[in-house]
Amino acid sequence: MVSYILKRLAMSLLIIYIVISLSFFMIRLMPGSPMAALEAQLRMQGGLSEVEIQQRISAVYSVTPDAPVWEQYLRYVWGAVRGDLGRPITNPGTTVVAVIAEALPWTIMVVAVSLIISFVIGIAVGAMMAAFQNSRFSQAMTFVVSFLSAVPSYLVAIALLYVLTSVYQVFPSGGAYGIDVTPGFNGPYVISVLYHAILPIAASVITSFGGWALGMKGSAVSVLGAEYVRAAESRGLSDRRITQSYVGRNSMLPMVTQLALSVGFMFGGSVFIETYFQYPGIGFYMIQSVGQRDYSLMMGCFLLITVSVIITNLLVDLLYPLVDPRIANPAARARAADQPADPDQEVLPAGGSMA
Amino acid sequence: MRFLSDLWRILRHDKGALIGGAIVLIYCLAAVFGPIFVEVGNEQDASQAYLAPSLQHPLGTDALGQGVLSQIIVGTRPIMIVGVLSAVVTVFVGVAIGLLTGYVGGVADTVIMRITDIFLTIPGLPLIIVLASVINTTNPVVLALILSITAWAGLARAIRSQAMSLRSREFVEAAKLQGVSLSNMVGRQLLPNVGPYVAIHFLLAITGAIYASVGLFLLGIAPISGNNWGIMINLAMAQGALYTTDSAFYLFSPMAAIVILQVAFVFFSRALDSVFNPRLRVQ
Repeated sequence: MVSYILKRLAMSLLIIYIVISLSFFMIRLMPGSPMAALEAQLRMQGGLSEVEIQQRISAVYSVTPDAPVWEQYLRYVWGAVRGDLGRPITNPGTTVVAVIAEALPWTIMVVAVSLIISFVIGIAVGAMMAAFQNSRFSQAMTFVVSFLSAVPSYLVAIALLYVLTSVYQVFPSGGAYGIDVTPGFNGPYVISVLYHAILPIAASVITSFGGWALGMKGSAVSVLGAEYVRAAESRGLSDRRITQSYVGRNSMLPMVTQLALSVGFMFGGSVFIETYFQYPGIGFYMIQSVGQRDYSLMMGCFLLITVSVIITNLLVDLLYPLVDPRIANPAARARAADQPADPDQEVLPAGGSMA
Repeated sequence: MRFLSDLWRILRHDKGALIGGAIVLIYCLAAVFGPIFVEVGNEQDASQAYLAPSLQHPLGTDALGQGVLSQIIVGTRPIMIVGVLSAVVTVFVGVAIGLLTGYVGGVADTVIMRITDIFLTIPGLPLIIVLASVINTTNPVVLALILSITAWAGLARAIRSQAMSLRSREFVEAAKLQGVSLSNMVGRQLLPNVGPYVAIHFLLAITGAIYASVGLFLLGIAPISGNNWGIMINLAMAQGALYTTDSAFYLFSPMAAIVILQVAFVFFSRALDSVFNPRLRVQ
């Protein structure tokens, strides 16, 4: 168990390191790189001495442009490790970390809530579809669910915006809370936050629960055909016991593995959704910084999205032994280690939930 | 052609898949022949702006007085090109890496699989957005490469596990004893056995690439030039389509075009799935 977690932890740190390096190389070494562009722009403005220009650049990207590349690289990585990601070009009075720190909680709230809601709804619908196979309900749901899982989330966002904020002005069209409430733990504020979060959450739930339902249905159907379920039935176990301990648990396993994979996808989709609902999360700032060519903020947002995804993946990894005791149990693990294939690699979704 | 007759038999009984397949075919035809028959001119006529649907313009007109339907037809080609190119790259890289590492095994397998893990973990869409905004290209090939930057990883993992199970089968042993070359082993022995899986994944990869590429144009991350559905929605939104009912057709037609295509792909791929997986048909 400990080595399993240590391995995941080491992998996570490696990925964070790689993303930091990637962001350095993109900012610094790309042809026509943002840093060179900023330097040229400052020169064009005139009135600045060479030293001042270098200082400005170094404040924005926290690297010294005329130092050797490897030294810049080390300083950049060290800065990122200490939580110094430079300053946004468009607003040098604040730091990238400060902007992100304000935005991240909103994104995490929306992503987490919509992931949980769509997971629960999807598992319930999928289990029902597997239980009543070949019924009218199952056929209709299969159609609805396949349809919804194929619709891009940003289109649902636009449709919701059009119908519910423009034609019928039921919901606010932007912001995380109203301007008439004071932030803090008080009734009106909490209600306002929930009210503003409903549309972004709805948009991502509508497009993502279908994938869960289809996955759960497939998984449950294959478990229903398994020998041990028939054995349990012939032993006269109660229906309730069979559905819960035999079918339910085993068909949930691949779903929990997918949970880890879908977190990254949810964060990706939140970029679109936050932009359209003008929800001040990290994706909103990322797109805004792309539009303003504010590369230090953009890479900061990208880095933080990656870190959030990695941390959530770790949490799912910790959750996994709870659902599947075989992972925590050393004897079962030893048996699993004898097999050539890693068991958790077999359950990757065929297509993922790309759309 | 066993495969075609099987496919036809499945399609005949599965109405959803049949309609899906037909729609995909229509879009392909529109992508190939559309620009030959339909033309979107450069002339602007403000008096023709935001017309209601009519015989001349079945889906109304946009802010510049040009027909929405003809723009959608012309916009099909760039979308399909990027989608198919990106799916080709994804499937080629994923299958090559999956088969090689799964069959060869050893240190190379471990190293490449760790690299694959990294690509699986990094969130794909944000990475695509970052790359597209720095590279800033309209070249469909470059765009397709960007779109498939992380998509191959999942396929590589899945193909690898299949290759690992194929490795111990008799026909692989037999080929090995005959001393066939590695390229023959991978290309002629292993590839046909994962073919069905690859075909389905190819369709899903197209939908994924279309989702991401339309998103890039929609948000204005990829440069706005030429004509495609994402750019149409982007322009409609920028012209305040949310606050007026005049441009509803302009805003919702490209959205409908995307949704119909994506749903058609998914339903068609389900039919392919049951052609290749006889187990699914029994249930």
